[in-house]
Amino acid sequence: MTLTLFRSSFLAIFAALFFVSTGIVEAGDMEDNATSFVQDLEKEAVASLTDTTKPRIERVKAFRSLFREKFAVGVIGRWTLGRSWRKASKEEQTEFLELFEDLMVATYVDRFASYAGDGLKYTKTVAVDENMSTVHTEIVRPDQVDARAISVLWRIGRQGDIYKVLDVVVQGASMSLTLQKEFTAIVRNKGSVAGLLEELRKKTAELNQT
Amino acid sequence: MQFSVRLLGPLVIAVMLLGCATPPPSSDREAFLEYEETNDPIEPANRAVFEFNRALDEMFLQPVSRTYRAVVPLWVRQRISSALDNLRAPVVFFNEIAQGEPKRAASTLVRFGFNSTFGLAGLNDFAKEIGFEKREEDFGQTLAVWGFDSGPYLMLPIFGPSNPRDVVGRVVDIFIDPFNMWTRNTDREVAAFTRGGTDVLDTRTQLLDISDDLEKSSLDLYAAVRSLYRQRRLNDINDGNIDDLSTIPGATNFPSWDNELTNKEISKKP
Repeated sequence: MTLTLFRSSFLAIFAALFFVSTGIVEAGDMEDNATSFVQDLEKEAVASLTDTTKPRIERVKAFRSLFREKFAVGVIGRWTLGRSWRKASKEEQTEFLELFEDLMVATYVDRFASYAGDGLKYTKTVAVDENMSTVHTEIVRPDQVDARAISVLWRIGRQGDIYKVLDVVVQGASMSLTLQKEFTAIVRNKGSVAGLLEELRKKTAELNQT
Repeated sequence: MQFSVRLLGPLVIAVMLLGCATPPPSSDREAFLEYEETNDPIEPANRAVFEFNRALDEMFLQPVSRTYRAVVPLWVRQRISSALDNLRAPVVFFNEIAQGEPKRAASTLVRFGFNSTFGLAGLNDFAKEIGFEKREEDFGQTLAVWGFDSGPYLMLPIFGPSNPRDVVGRVVDIFIDPFNMWTRNTDREVAAFTRGGTDVLDTRTQLLDISDDLEKSSLDLYAAVRSLYRQRRLNDINDGNIDDLSTIPGATNFPSWDNELTNKEISKKP
């Protein structure tokens, strides 16, 4: 009796330990994967953006496919539209996401290009929850007057084995949040999602010209 | 003085004419919450001041800053920026004490002593090399640490984005700055203006890349600056240590990658 009791409690403890430890291993895996995901993204972005032998339009094209693969464009887009997403028609939603991708690609291509080559320093990766982690990195730019490191956080979400960027936070400023605030202001001032789409069309056309 | 009064006159009139934003009816709950969160009750007037600031910036400050960056070598600009930082150190020290951060205050004191002497009046930041990093504190941040609310968003003429808390902070910082006390007591207005002018030039030049990027990419520059100012201030107040997780897309309702854009032909896009 005592023995079986002893055995079953031993098993229970063993099982508990086992599950706890696999839990930890899993979380650690996600963080490691998120870190190497950003490292790959950095490598590929540098490769596709710094090839100056190719014309800009080619570089943008290469960056777009990288961007589509690595950024959760649809998720970010929907989130930035906020409560207006539900009010928009199906057609408006589709057009918004397309224009949003254009905007993101056109703006990020230059941001990545101007930072590429400075090199990211990976400081730590912290799990936000079981599906998200934050990869903390720093950029040191010796060619600036203020040579202090700039903090860049990468919010990485996962689904199964697929990891994607949800947000980039530079010195505490979230790119996604700033866009959300901008879109909210435009929808309010123009009175409709259609008004925002009009502005997005103008802006992306303007960005694609340069 | 005459000049600034003449500039401010039309601005005051503009604020009175444009007045305040009309809050949405409280029956539209979401719109009302959004209005509260935006916390910008005098938005129309603020936008007018913002446009005024931009015009002024494009006419004077930007061309001067661009020339400064193009003509003056980086090494010299770094020395000037470093000297300005050093002049600000006593104010940083005061605020670190006021925020209950004696260790940081001690570090700032060491920086000030070291850089003022060995660093030749702060022209060189040698203290950084031996592990005493530069920090930025101001009385606006101190008030926040003490628990004061920021109040509504304000766009100040010439000074730019702010709020009542930061306005009070700015005034207090000017008042407690030993350099300013010295210039006031000895009638050295020229020294005060030279420092102020150089400070504006240094700051604007450092912001050129960011403002160019924003100017190009944003759809509503005013709204972008308002959001960035708030995020940046919050980050300063928390010394970059508190990570706001509520702003991650999908944080509350985790989305599915399946809903991502269908992979259309990329070749069609530029």
